[in-house]
Amino acid sequence: MSVQVKDVPFAGTVPSPKTENEGMITGSWRTRRPILDKDKCTDCRMCWISCPDSSINLTNGSVSFNLKYCKGCGICNEICPVGAISLVPELDFEE
Amino acid sequence: MGVKKRISGCVATANAVKLADVEVICSFPIRPYTGIMSELARMVADGELDAEFVHGEGEHGQLSVVYGASAAGARAFTGSAGVGVTYAMELYSPISGERLPLQMAIADRTLDPPGDFGSEHTDALCLRDQGWIQGWAATPQEALDLTLLYYRIGEDPRVLLPQYACQDGYFVSHIFGDVEIPDVAQVKEFLPPYKNHHVLDPRNPQIMGAQMEPAMGPGMQYQRYQAVESARQVIEEAHDEFGRIFGRKYAPWVEEYMTDDAEIAIFMQGGHSETCKTVVKRLRNLGEKVGMVRLRTFRPFPTQHVREALAKFKAVGVVDNSANFGISGGAGVLLTEARTALYGLGDKVKTLGFVAGLGGEMITHEEFHKMFGKLKEVAKTGKTGKENFWLPFEL
Repeated sequence: MSVQVKDVPFAGTVPSPKTENEGMITGSWRTRRPILDKDKCTDCRMCWISCPDSSINLTNGSVSFNLKYCKGCGICNEICPVGAISLVPELDFEE
Repeated sequence: MGVKKRISGCVATANAVKLADVEVICSFPIRPYTGIMSELARMVADGELDAEFVHGEGEHGQLSVVYGASAAGARAFTGSAGVGVTYAMELYSPISGERLPLQMAIADRTLDPPGDFGSEHTDALCLRDQGWIQGWAATPQEALDLTLLYYRIGEDPRVLLPQYACQDGYFVSHIFGDVEIPDVAQVKEFLPPYKNHHVLDPRNPQIMGAQMEPAMGPGMQYQRYQAVESARQVIEEAHDEFGRIFGRKYAPWVEEYMTDDAEIAIFMQGGHSETCKTVVKRLRNLGEKVGMVRLRTFRPFPTQHVREALAKFKAVGVVDNSANFGISGGAGVLLTEARTALYGLGDKVKTLGFVAGLGGEMITHEEFHKMFGKLKEVAKTGKTGKENFWLPFEL
């Protein structure tokens, strides 16, 4: 059902989101899950900068993955200079 | 008051860009439009114009640069010709969809039947339904005026749409004409500063061009449709204001030349209409009831005005300076648009399509005489046989 014209944002421009969008949960698209080896990680934050979907959180200087939205594209694995991020097939996990 | 100079269409356009105090310009060379950018580059280098002059890595890059500049709140200008125009095709729809009123000058060039570089409207006509304001200048003076008019129309808060200010390559872009260059105070009165209500600003983060769900699509397109339709009133107001401030009065939709009591007429747009006028005048001197109607604004298309203008003739020849292979009617875009405008009048006005001046060739006096000859025959007998003619091969 089409959204009414008055409810469509002008020119499609919207305020920058401040909360997670529950209408578009993209984590289910993922076939490979990023896993961080904390011993290897140097906190350089290259993965945090490079993630196209803002699915890497930064807490007290350390990175973690937001699997609700991570699509498993693998850019973090490519960009990590110390090989601290591996990609594990989703089928290897119980859930 | 302004000064009068003998300059080309390209230099006239550059002068208008300078008068409009454009803030960001993005260039990439392709003749014949390049003349505009070389003059603007000179103005910036000589300190006559304070603008950011960015050299794009291609036309797709050019349009991307002005897209961003306009979104950041700058009055932006770019341009191209021929295959350069089509190389940037991806950008045109999002720019109008995001309602960014930047301007692109097009000095026409063919779309390369291998190697040709002459003028042909085909390039700009490929863009005709992208939600931009579009029309053709017929003289260097009009090229200058169109630039100012289009910024004013496009930036109006009721419109907020980008504009293609078109001129025939060479026949306008490189022909020298006496051009009155208005003074800055007049332009300031006519063209208020560019203000958009959605502007990229780190203090107020926004997402422009966000991905959206298909259910939003129809509403988005309807917004743009409404913007194009509301441009009609703004176009008329802007032409009135232009006449008042600069003293040059243009008909916003169609210019009629010697159409009083005319029985047959040519309908066309662009610089070749100047040649057509001299033929009309000559035929009038010989007592023939002929006239010419020139389309001034192509998008939004003035369906009613064209119908009113053409309904009084027995036969109309539509001159298409574009190659539109396989199109209904077998001529060009203008013939199909004119016939649509005349729909409902039945068989009252006979219409013939003339494809002429392709590849950058002149449409000669002789060719216009042949067109009028054909129209006279149709008006006299009330019958048409073949209705589309590719010149010079078929007439």
